[in-house]
Amino acid sequence: MSEVPAPPPPRLRVWDVPTRLVHWLLVLGFALSWWTGETGRLEWHRWSGYALLGLLTFRIYWGFFGSSTARFSRFVRGPKTVVSYLRGTWAQQPGHNPLGALSVVVMLVLLVAQIGFGLFAVDVDGLESGPLSLYVSFDAGRMAAEWHEGIFEVLLWVVALHVLAIAYYLFVKRQNLAAAMVRGSREFDGEVPPVEGASRLRFIIGVIIAALFTWAVTKAFDF
Amino acid sequence: MIRRPLLRFRPFQIVPALVAPMMVAVAAWAATPQEAQKARHEHYEELGEAFKAVRDNSRGDSPNWAALEKAAQTVLEASVDQQKWFAKGTGPEAGKTRALPEIWTKADDFTAAQKMFSDRAPKLLAAVQAKDAAGVQAAFKELGGSCKNCHDNFRAPE
Repeated sequence: MSEVPAPPPPRLRVWDVPTRLVHWLLVLGFALSWWTGETGRLEWHRWSGYALLGLLTFRIYWGFFGSSTARFSRFVRGPKTVVSYLRGTWAQQPGHNPLGALSVVVMLVLLVAQIGFGLFAVDVDGLESGPLSLYVSFDAGRMAAEWHEGIFEVLLWVVALHVLAIAYYLFVKRQNLAAAMVRGSREFDGEVPPVEGASRLRFIIGVIIAALFTWAVTKAFDF
Repeated sequence: MIRRPLLRFRPFQIVPALVAPMMVAVAAWAATPQEAQKARHEHYEELGEAFKAVRDNSRGDSPNWAALEKAAQTVLEASVDQQKWFAKGTGPEAGKTRALPEIWTKADDFTAAQKMFSDRAPKLLAAVQAKDAAGVQAAFKELGGSCKNCHDNFRAPE
């Protein structure tokens, strides 16, 4: 009697291209900003910061107008739902689970704060500064720089936690979430509402908004 | 009629009342190394503020020449005054400071670094007074180089 290999489990579309692109470009931008900041390459640091600003602006827009799994209204949940997820009673849906959603919100907020403070930061010699620092005093710019450095430390911990969580899902729960964020789909054997994509027009509008806003920031809103 | 005391001091208040002015007088006359460190720190913060002012006021089509002149003057004065900010005994041995011991152990090198600053500072003021925007940018960049030159060797990293 020969065994017929079981068919591979059906693949479920989860993350659209913009969401995946933003995720991995954020990783790249974060690493670049870290390295350029540490090695005093502040001209490059500003550029990678601007790139991150553009990515974040787009992600926030996509969180309101993008595909269903990218929308905050679809995955951000309150504490009760987080508890129900931890208890195993959460009704599954594609995309971020309530706990993952929490980490997404935390990371996005931290990144926005990090970039926000960076835009106003002034270095100790008053020689290097963010594009919006001209609107604040030297002392305020110095304080922004200190917050920029402090929030980075917090971000590092959160990123480490994030990576640990992904590793936990991979090795303990046997779910390859990183692969899903690359391929955009995962194996799933069950009934869940399908993912609704967003139109190409929406995507283009988002890119334009992000680009315009970032450009305005580099000009310090002084046209 | 109630007799009021001539001096409105209670006995235990007399000692501090006499000592406090004496302490202020002593402090004013002999700045301790810690005070010198603090003053130096404030001078450099003032210098940082001036550099920021140069950056902020020289951008765009119409630089603020009045503000630039004020900032360039501050920079020029600092470039001269800084000779007095590094008295012996005001290094890390006296308290928390980013000034490295090399300032005193390699005094000739330090003096040369300070000279680079004081040589370049007048060029900034000259460019400002000539209302030469491109000249200001160039002088500012060159000055920044003199800051880095000294800091790389004589200031502790953060």
